[in-house]
Amino acid sequence: MRAKSFAPVMRGIAAVMACVLVLSLVGAGVADSFRTRIDDALGTTSYVTSTDADAARFKSDYATIDDMIAAAKALAVKEGEEGTVIMKNDNGALPLAEGGSVALFGLAAYAPYPYASGDLKAGNEDAVDLLQALTEAGVNVNETVRDFYLNKVLNKHTEEVPNRWTGELETQVAYDNIYVAAPGDMAEYQIVEVPPEKFGEMGAPADWKSSIDKANTTGICVFARGAGEGNTYAPGSALDYEGNATGKDPLALSDDELAVIDAAKETCSKVVVLINSGNTMVLKDIAKGGAHEVDGIAYIGVINDYQCTGIVRVLTGQVNATGALPDTYVADNASIPAVMNFGGGYYADYEIVGRSDDPRYPGVDIANTTAGSFGGSNTYNGGHFIVEAEGIYVGYKYFETRYYDCVMNPGSKANSAKGATQGSAWDYNAEVLYPFGHGLSYLDYTQTLKSVDVDKTPEGNVTAVVELKNNSGQDGCFLAQLYVQQPYTDYDRQNNVEKSAVMFLNSAKTQVKAGGTAQVTITVPTKYLASYDYTNAKTYILDAGDYLFTAAPGSHAAVNNFLAHQGKTASDGMDAQADGAVLTWNLSSLDKDTFSVENGTKVTNAADDADLNYWTGGNTVTYLSRQDWEGTYPINYNADVEVKLADSPRKDEWIAQLRGQTYTIRTDSPAAEGGDKGVRFDTTHIQYDQLSDVNDPFWNTLVSGITIDEAVGAVIHGGSRSDVLTNVDNPIVIQNEGVSGFTAKYEDEASGKSYRFNVHSQTLLASSFNPELAYEWGRVEGNSGLWLQRYHLWGTGLTQRRTPYNGRNYEYISEDPMLTNRMGCGILQGCADMGILNGPKHMGFNDQEHNRGGVSAYMNEQKFRETDLRGFQGGLEDADGMAVMIAFNRIGATNASHHVGMLQRILRDEWGYTGLISTDMMNNKYYFNAESMVMAGITQVADFGGDDNHITLGEGGVDATWEYISPAAVENDSALVEQARQNLKYQLYTYANSAIMNVSTEKVATWWDDALRNATYASGALAAVAAAAWVVLTVLPDKKKEEV
Amino acid sequence: MNIVKKFSVGAWITLAAAVLALASVIVYAVNIGSAGYFQNAAVTNIIPLCALAAAALAAAVVLGQVKLSGPAFTAMELVTGVLQVCAPVLLTLCLASLAAARAEGLGFIYFSNADVILEVQTPANLASAAGTIANMACLGAAALAGIVGAFCGLRKKER
Repeated sequence: MRAKSFAPVMRGIAAVMACVLVLSLVGAGVADSFRTRIDDALGTTSYVTSTDADAARFKSDYATIDDMIAAAKALAVKEGEEGTVIMKNDNGALPLAEGGSVALFGLAAYAPYPYASGDLKAGNEDAVDLLQALTEAGVNVNETVRDFYLNKVLNKHTEEVPNRWTGELETQVAYDNIYVAAPGDMAEYQIVEVPPEKFGEMGAPADWKSSIDKANTTGICVFARGAGEGNTYAPGSALDYEGNATGKDPLALSDDELAVIDAAKETCSKVVVLINSGNTMVLKDIAKGGAHEVDGIAYIGVINDYQCTGIVRVLTGQVNATGALPDTYVADNASIPAVMNFGGGYYADYEIVGRSDDPRYPGVDIANTTAGSFGGSNTYNGGHFIVEAEGIYVGYKYFETRYYDCVMNPGSKANSAKGATQGSAWDYNAEVLYPFGHGLSYLDYTQTLKSVDVDKTPEGNVTAVVELKNNSGQDGCFLAQLYVQQPYTDYDRQNNVEKSAVMFLNSAKTQVKAGGTAQVTITVPTKYLASYDYTNAKTYILDAGDYLFTAAPGSHAAVNNFLAHQGKTASDGMDAQADGAVLTWNLSSLDKDTFSVENGTKVTNAADDADLNYWTGGNTVTYLSRQDWEGTYPINYNADVEVKLADSPRKDEWIAQLRGQTYTIRTDSPAAEGGDKGVRFDTTHIQYDQLSDVNDPFWNTLVSGITIDEAVGAVIHGGSRSDVLTNVDNPIVIQNEGVSGFTAKYEDEASGKSYRFNVHSQTLLASSFNPELAYEWGRVEGNSGLWLQRYHLWGTGLTQRRTPYNGRNYEYISEDPMLTNRMGCGILQGCADMGILNGPKHMGFNDQEHNRGGVSAYMNEQKFRETDLRGFQGGLEDADGMAVMIAFNRIGATNASHHVGMLQRILRDEWGYTGLISTDMMNNKYYFNAESMVMAGITQVADFGGDDNHITLGEGGVDATWEYISPAAVENDSALVEQARQNLKYQLYTYANSAIMNVSTEKVATWWDDALRNATYASGALAAVAAAAWVVLTVLPDKKKEEV
Repeated sequence: MNIVKKFSVGAWITLAAAVLALASVIVYAVNIGSAGYFQNAAVTNIIPLCALAAAALAAAVVLGQVKLSGPAFTAMELVTGVLQVCAPVLLTLCLASLAAARAEGLGFIYFSNADVILEVQTPANLASAAGTIANMACLGAAALAGIVGAFCGLRKKER
């Protein structure tokens, strides 16, 4: 046979081997992603656990404490750089002219909020305030004004004040005149801004005005608003400097503040106002067309130790301005539909809930009145309620959708007078001053959506590519924001599914060279395109139709892009030309399936009883709908409607809920007592399989050993630290506070240095719109935990900012659930990657601090799922969040910490969350019900106790708090005891996966890894040899081949 | 039609592989365009790779019929052979990529627990899963045919 006849054989062998090579390469990747399942099936082990101390699973990124401190400072400065938002910039007011001067006006200019150290401010010795930052940046600060403010107006000194919690006297910084740092609980709020008319009598030099070189000086006015736990602003509660009631909104600039601005305008050629607040303020007077219009306005949030350095870098133009507003700024807070139902009020017959014959508390008169923010009296505290009738239309989703409908759907009565505060017809541009996502860049740039890919699978992502074009002659950083418009269909109208005309999805930043372009890829899980249909499908749906995507500098620009894409122009009522690229993804038919199952759990209604209509049996509540803006605009359900419990067709059930009677302890199902099961919480028993799977049998074995007393006791007395459980030998874990980071002080014995790492600003991180920065902060926060050897903190807030009045808004991110979602995802993942449990607060509608310990928040399930909960979903489902704190208030009539639907069905089952779940501080045993919390899945009830994980510590061997709880009372309820053990299982599993245990696992090659690798090498080699042989046999001349 | 008469068995097999590759593209497009679990679940580069493979196979068949001699004939043989080898590799890559992308979803549809199986196994989802399996079968057959074709010459031997 001639050699040439072998050529096709060699070619065929080359083809076969190349195909095997491809299969082995791709197969190795697939096998790796299914490694655990393959190990289970084949009985192989891919990981071994190392107990070597040097092989810790979580190690700090920083070799020395100096490196750690430098990283924390750098992050804080970056928050200032990226979070400062230029809201208005006319007449070249910003950046400040090089070599120019500034005159600083306003108390906060010299003592930015917060001035006192604590939870919000680290107070390190090297902290930099605004004055110092300006000076260090080479800005000339007018000394006459500065000295007058510092020495005559503020006069910084110290005072002895009692600690809020302990009552012990502490030395604190104080001033003669300073803004009120805590607005109180819907109390009057005094705006202590010294008006210029008082300057003279306070000792200002007579020539202070002439000391300012007007032509070359920019006046910078800084105004602050305080906030805090237990604090809620009350509309119309403002007092002026003298203490006189003005009737104005406390979040609006006061006449005294406006007078300061006028003085600045009189003495300086340009005036810039800096907003130093976590609560959205009302700036109509100084915005365009306002009676006190200024040249520039910038948002600087709530400031910590080092952010001022970054803020000044923006003000001076050392870095480009890239911050954007996380909330909508309006001309009047009364224009916000959620404000129609804020604060709350009593049911008409709230007294009928109170009783003196509660079998759990014999002989105790239990009222149903409100209690203080921190508890106090014997009350169920179920008398107050609010109705969140605005539904999903919070913040820009209301304003932009109504604007869109003014143009696109005039039949919806979008421009009716209902909800208008600035005229007889609703006008977007009169109501909204600065939209969500607004932020001016110094450098001219454009953002263009180049492509969008939608993977419509349960785990799929929307992947968008945005091109940023730097039209300026200077390198800089730029922000890209991705928005979507979902179709609003007849199906939605028929089934009361509401859709915002524009929805923020995610954002990203990147550096772009002068005159150049750069592309950023923005991804977000596709599931967030779905809407919750609570009336018909009772699950998440994707409507048929066009999904429009665009990249735009804010929600309003985005909605204008959509309108222009849909053929609308100024003649139709649009307020601006829009030419931003819009890309479409079409879904041909309604999809009720793809997102109807999550993590193997059927997704369906979990909070029907959160709807007031469920209880009243009628249509008491009309939810805001874009079908009819006028007819559905919220009324006040506390004042305009009489809600009587006695009239309810579910009266008894409703009252039972308000009394916290959501579970009755059984007496007919004996629980198994615990005992030594031969396993412990240690590295001998906890290996890779146990770390990777909470359903590994080990965990049930471990918790089955916990005694009945300790199982229930450890949950309902979770305390501020965990207790060691008999038969488990778990570690003691101390919980730490700190929305700005761990408040604990690091003490370095070797160098004698001490330092506090709570240097973060939640507000400035929020306005950075940069999820990558959120991750960086989470990682720094986690690293600091490793250095402090503290592993669990309540270190961020992810509740939606429903209104501007909540005193905790400075702890939260935004009015928008998705911005909150993405930032929360970053923060929690950063911490989780360092093994630190960072529990976000306060899941479940902590929409006001006023009567937070009992107020009922009624809503429909679309709002329930798409607003506050969505904010938490990113960190707790998409990221590896390991802890969460539940809100104080009720959802519907049910204490949020009793809410089985939210905690068991959504959090545990749908989201697959395996971390720990804590209540907020248990302050009222009549409101917080021990057995209900256990059954809802709470892993630990927060109280101040330590080493108290028993239900026998009260008089007579019963529980010290809930006297009706005792071993004898619960031992015949196997479901309760087993649920308590299950709850502790999640807690222990989380500890094992954190830096608390800090054991590492190493990956080892299994026989099938070896087989795949060998197949790759062998097939590769054979393919190469066969291919070479084929080429040789083909190329060689026939004659020569014959010789061969 | 003289050229068809010169087709060897290998040419017909290779042509069948090309047709199967094109059929895979159609099945894939229908599958992700239809209601059900895999609707819009695009897999990166499946369509261009499949199309490229089909084009390579078709080109190989055509080039294989060109009558040349000397170095030109050798060069043509090399080009044709490379196409015959690369095409099944591309099809195998498509098959592996598709299988990797669909494994989780198929497991979800066919092996979910009893609580949700009724929710998951809707007619649309089952049809979508069947479509994906058909797509994989089509790709596998195309790759196999391409491999067999690579063992064969593309032109009948002249007597």
